[in-house]
Amino acid sequence: MKPIDLNIIGAKGAIAEEAEGKWGMAIDEDLCTGCQACVAACAMENNISFVGEEDAAYGRTMHWIRIERFWEGEYPDVRTTSFQPMLCQQCGHAPCEPVCPVFATVHSQADELNLQVYNRCVGTRYCGNNCPYQVRAFNWRDYERPEPLNNQLNPDVTVRQRGVMEKCTFCIQRIHQAEDTAKSEGRELQDGEFDPACAQACPADAIVFGRVDDPDSKVSQLSRQKRGVKHLEDLATLPRITYLKES
Amino acid sequence: MAENISLLALFSDLEPAADAIDKLRDLGVAEEQMNVISGVPLNEAMLGRKEQESNVPKLAFAGAITGFLVGSFLAFVTPYWYPVPIQVGRQAIIPGPPTIIVLFEMTMLFLLLATFLGVFLDSFFPYYRPLKYVPEISDGKIAIFFSCPENQKDTMINSMTILGAEKVEVAEAKQL
Amino acid sequence: MAFKNHIEETHGEQHLRQKHLMLDPKPRGEMNAMVMEAMHTTTWKFWVVVALLSAVVLFGLFWSWGILIAEGMGVAGVNRPSYWGIFLVNTVFWIGISHAGTFISAILRVFKAEFRRPFTRAAELMTTFGLIQAGFSIFMHMGRVWRMYWLMPYPNQRLLWPNFHSPLTWDLLAITTYLLSSTMYLYLPLIPDLAMARDRTKGGWQKIFYRVLALGFRGTEGEWKHLRSAMNIFAWAIIPIMFSVHTIVSWDFAVATRPGWNSTIFGPYFIIGALHSGMGAVIMVLAVVRGTMKNMKYFIRPEHFEAIGKLMLIISMGWAYFFFNDFIVQWYGGDKWTQTLLHYHESGPLGYLWFFMLFVNIVIPWSVLWNKRWRSTPWIVFIVGLLINVGMWIERYIIIPISLTINRSPFTWKLYQPGIEIPLGIGTVALFILLYLAASKLIPLIPVWEVQEGQMAHSLKKYGRESVVTVSELE
Repeated sequence: MKPIDLNIIGAKGAIAEEAEGKWGMAIDEDLCTGCQACVAACAMENNISFVGEEDAAYGRTMHWIRIERFWEGEYPDVRTTSFQPMLCQQCGHAPCEPVCPVFATVHSQADELNLQVYNRCVGTRYCGNNCPYQVRAFNWRDYERPEPLNNQLNPDVTVRQRGVMEKCTFCIQRIHQAEDTAKSEGRELQDGEFDPACAQACPADAIVFGRVDDPDSKVSQLSRQKRGVKHLEDLATLPRITYLKES
Repeated sequence: MAENISLLALFSDLEPAADAIDKLRDLGVAEEQMNVISGVPLNEAMLGRKEQESNVPKLAFAGAITGFLVGSFLAFVTPYWYPVPIQVGRQAIIPGPPTIIVLFEMTMLFLLLATFLGVFLDSFFPYYRPLKYVPEISDGKIAIFFSCPENQKDTMINSMTILGAEKVEVAEAKQL
Repeated sequence: MAFKNHIEETHGEQHLRQKHLMLDPKPRGEMNAMVMEAMHTTTWKFWVVVALLSAVVLFGLFWSWGILIAEGMGVAGVNRPSYWGIFLVNTVFWIGISHAGTFISAILRVFKAEFRRPFTRAAELMTTFGLIQAGFSIFMHMGRVWRMYWLMPYPNQRLLWPNFHSPLTWDLLAITTYLLSSTMYLYLPLIPDLAMARDRTKGGWQKIFYRVLALGFRGTEGEWKHLRSAMNIFAWAIIPIMFSVHTIVSWDFAVATRPGWNSTIFGPYFIIGALHSGMGAVIMVLAVVRGTMKNMKYFIRPEHFEAIGKLMLIISMGWAYFFFNDFIVQWYGGDKWTQTLLHYHESGPLGYLWFFMLFVNIVIPWSVLWNKRWRSTPWIVFIVGLLINVGMWIERYIIIPISLTINRSPFTWKLYQPGIEIPLGIGTVALFILLYLAASKLIPLIPVWEVQEGQMAHSLKKYGRESVVTVSELE
């Protein structure tokens, strides 16, 4: 029997094309030590509030990236699995986007990123529900920054009010800064020229950031490895992050 | 020609009221000079009167069309008023099934708003100036208001009383 | 209008007249007087209840809401992953309650179910007041409620419009449509009764109140014609609106990529659930109205509880059918997340709620309402109605915060614990009752003209030895 050529009916081609995106990441779980440096760096870079012990214990941490750790079996026969940094996957087909009644979370066609428009958000939290990765963070209160952390705010990033949703932006401020610099110097942006805060802070170099539409970039090469998996790929959300893990 | 005066005859029952209307017709009172006011909706056929016209269904239809246009405006025009039409979740800028919902809700809303408005327009609501009325009507009585030449007044009162009118008097406009 | 009573009434006929309001006519003036008296008889107990409820509304609704707005969502129980909590449970619950009004006043009107006549207004009031509570609940839920007008499609300088892809925008359009149309549908048949109240009010602010609201209605042939023609259009058009509202509410959940929510049967399942809780609420209201208001024993009789009880039994069966349909398909599917969720429903920390829901939504109605005498007894159906409402509230609680606990990202699993939602929820209940109490003192709760119209149309006819109730078509 002749196999059906998926390219003829357009299915395979369409999925491959959509899956490409622009910016992406490869996260090597075999290298990740779970040191949480990315979590701290992200919070510093993006002016993320500290929610305090009580709210954190109740599931209200606002980190845009978190280190997920799982274990199998019952104590004392516990086998831990590798650490899994989880952040916004910048889905190409994002479930969070269409459900917002006020267009506060939209798709950037230029950057192929999911944008969150803080000052348009009214706080229905539908996007948070609809995110299968649960990586959106809601401003439950106006959290205070203890002295002297109030002097540490990044001027390139807004501070969010209570009642709005926020999430990882792939450090879009850094992307645009690097693009502007390259443009003013009259050259193309080079692979590895800049990194988002998490990748920059990772001591094990487990997070690699770059253009996934460029087959020669480091992130593309890593993503093509046999170790690469996408999270919840069956939902067809087209995530832009590839996790590398020896199974 | 004598001045026309306005009379009202009050009936408790449907049959005498219907008879009275026939009698008034015989006495030369034109159909449009009679007006029946009742505390329950009475079918025109019950009193042998010709059917009333109502613009409410027409207005409702016009409202539905307006609503459909409003819905079309919201669904088809407003997305393109953004400087760059916004893409969400790889859905089309104008998504198919959700558009049907917007069109449906707006059509129904304006249909019913127009129906409601139609009652106001057709019945001249709200109207707070004095009107010819007796409070017994909301106790279920049927009042026939009619006008006749002044010199026929006694004939009218007599014939109405014979037919069983509880009260026949000159109708006065009162503050309701 | 007078009714020709048979000179010799058999015992069976007397019994039928005693049983059916439609066969037991009183002169219109007497009925008017009874309704006005019911409206004006106010005991001290009424004011005690009003004072208590007002205190609850002030504290539960206004004070707590102020804190919620000033402090942020942190004072509520919502967290990750349960971004939605009791606020949306209450929204769905109140929209469900509101469905009963339309069901009774529109569907039963369209199908000419005559027993509806005395309580169409009492039910329709529930629609409007329930939707107000639903609106409050949904606004409480918003993180930045002071920006709530951004949801509306209104022209603005920056040409920002809402996102018509979002189920929440459909919700807004549908609930607005439903609120406006049900309020208009409440008002239209009220106009003749307001005119009646105007005619029998001597002076004071009430006279002005009724005069203004009665709009100068007299009851001319034209006015009746326009009114009835409009009511006919409303009765037909509001039914699809009612269905669309709760279907769209169900789509808030059904379109989401979440285990347990992503179900195609949620639309009809939610509608039958709305009717389930709504009919329970109607029967509770009627039992209270009959028990506490003067002269209401004439208008609201055991036959009405019997008829609604029958509907409740059928709706309970329908609910069980849809629940099982939803459950077995999810159960059979074998999706790992859904399996986990179903297991969590039954044997999680709040598994007892799941069993309690099935008990009060299915077992109780089925075991009580089959009995004609029990379902004709106001206090019994009151308790059944109350339990069904608790059960349906729990059903929404299971669908929203408990189901949200389980998602595809096990690291975030966390059980929701309510916070300030509780006083706010109690506040909406108190406001609902308070609005209802106010309405019972301001507008005639019984549509007298509709009752009279029904009594005109009904008669007894003898077939051999048996007396049979007949209804004539008057329209």
